[in-house]
Amino acid sequence: MSFEIMGISSALIRKQSVAELEKCNDLTVQFGLRLSQCDAVDLVETRNLALKDNGRIEFGGGVIEKIIREFCNSPYLSMPNYAESLHDLTDMFYYYKNETLDLMSDDDLIKFMKQRFDGICQGSLELLSGRELANMARNIRFGYTAEYSEDLACDEEGVDDDGQS
Amino acid sequence: MTMANLEKRHLIDNKNLSGESYFTSILHEAYAYGLLNDSEIENIQLQCIKFLAYKSERYNDGESSSIRVEAAESIMKSNLYTIGLYLKSLPDADCAVSELKIGKIPEMYQKGRVLINGKVHSAKHFYIMAKANKVTTLNYTYNATLDEGIGIFFKAYNPDYAAHEVMASIDYQLCNPVTDLTGVEFILKYLENLFIENEFCSYFDAEDIHHLLSGYDEGYKDLLINIFEQVVTATLGRTLANRSVLKLDSLKEEIERLQDELAEDDDYLIALKIRKATEKVLQELRITTLSLHRYIEKSLPRITSSIVNAVRTNTLGKTFVSPTNPDLKPKIQFLSSAKMDDEDYREFINELLICRYSSDKLALIKEKAKSFGDIEDLLFDARLSEEEITSVLDIFRDVEIAELIRRHPFKSSIQAVDLSETEQTLRLYVKSYTDQLTTERQERIFGLVNHLMVDER
Repeated sequence: MSFEIMGISSALIRKQSVAELEKCNDLTVQFGLRLSQCDAVDLVETRNLALKDNGRIEFGGGVIEKIIREFCNSPYLSMPNYAESLHDLTDMFYYYKNETLDLMSDDDLIKFMKQRFDGICQGSLELLSGRELANMARNIRFGYTAEYSEDLACDEEGVDDDGQS
Repeated sequence: MTMANLEKRHLIDNKNLSGESYFTSILHEAYAYGLLNDSEIENIQLQCIKFLAYKSERYNDGESSSIRVEAAESIMKSNLYTIGLYLKSLPDADCAVSELKIGKIPEMYQKGRVLINGKVHSAKHFYIMAKANKVTTLNYTYNATLDEGIGIFFKAYNPDYAAHEVMASIDYQLCNPVTDLTGVEFILKYLENLFIENEFCSYFDAEDIHHLLSGYDEGYKDLLINIFEQVVTATLGRTLANRSVLKLDSLKEEIERLQDELAEDDDYLIALKIRKATEKVLQELRITTLSLHRYIEKSLPRITSSIVNAVRTNTLGKTFVSPTNPDLKPKIQFLSSAKMDDEDYREFINELLICRYSSDKLALIKEKAKSFGDIEDLLFDARLSEEEITSVLDIFRDVEIAELIRRHPFKSSIQAVDLSETEQTLRLYVKSYTDQLTTERQERIFGLVNHLMVDER
């Protein structure tokens, strides 16, 4: 008998997670987005792999549902890239959960990802992961706010030096 | 045999159960003896995982659905430890198995949690008592553990998520070390034992203990020794030599007789004599506390084996230590005459620095240096070579060399890591110099080093 944490991924939990993802279609269908059962199974698998790769464990529903609910109204998501984007966003989420030392809540991290994805990254997952989230994680680790930018800080200092408000 | 003498037969042997991970060990044993079947075990595992999910959510304040594996493992260990603590409190292992069959994991956890609170409270009480009857000693590990190391536990202990951990700095080793326990149980047992050891030592003057430990080793303040063990051994030695144990005075005269007497006995007989001596010690000191009786009883095998070993190797004098008073050793106060005026010293050093030949430098030093302090300073400032330093050291008499060694003792490169380069070089040169002296002179010089008084200024 074992109490090994990593062994917790019973078929029951997977089945439950797939059903929950399929339920999200009721919400996303109005944006022209839908996950097939196969997509949902793959996404749950991606989540399990991402959790394992990042040395984390999750109980219950999970984060994919939250990501779907937040991102479904993004102008940069459409049926052809929907499932693939969700795979990348799930991977990214768990990676940056560790990189931010768990200092950011799930909801705040997902909101930040959505805001940058729709905003400055204009739908580029590479920019979101390689630049925006990496900067944000560094800021959090150094004790700054998630939005802190060195350029902005320098600009503000320069303005102050000139005596302008 | 009457019915009253019948004892209930237990399937699970308590000896097979781990004190540290009681919960998992009892599950293993119960499963092995068929007291729990597969579905019951699975049900317990599932309950534990559900409870872990609940605790993890609380740990994250509900802000994160996932948690690092290490954190989850630690929480799981903490949960199992707490439940194990409750199961341990039940009358026997069979009762614990019955409870596992019918009880709910969260309820068992809550009961364990209440027990932890009680144990933390008891540990605090024992901590206060152990500090109150603390032995006044110079031993560093004893003082550091009791004054600060254990105190850390009460500040850092996290019974909700890390109940199984011992967050304390405990360097002082007990005569009966605490094994097979962890978390608050470990601390509680450690403090109980420490309190008992202190209680025994409180029957003797702190000064007597200081002299006894000084007899064991003058540098005992830096040693990892157990004070109680030394004191108990000393009292046993006195009883075996038919002396009073109330005063821990010297046994030098009796050691030889005792050695001859015990050498004729076999191990069993020596152990028997030690047991009898222990009873005499307890009687003479009028110790009635049951816990102290039991603790000394538990310490006997260890002490007996060291005494037997000493008898067999003819080193009883090292085990039954004779106290020494380090303050009674003859002392030499070294007084150097007044140093040169700073301005004169600067001129003198400048002159030495421009000197070309070693013989001229030596002549200059002999002519101008006014005191031991001046020569000591110039050894650092005049950039002298090893040969030149050796020639300067030749000027010194034994007591001056001894004072120089006392002030600048040689240290290995690892120990000397904090010293300046010039200081390290000087120490090395002084060592090389003393090494090439005759053995007789070396002995004389090092004898003087031990008797020189430390300058308190």
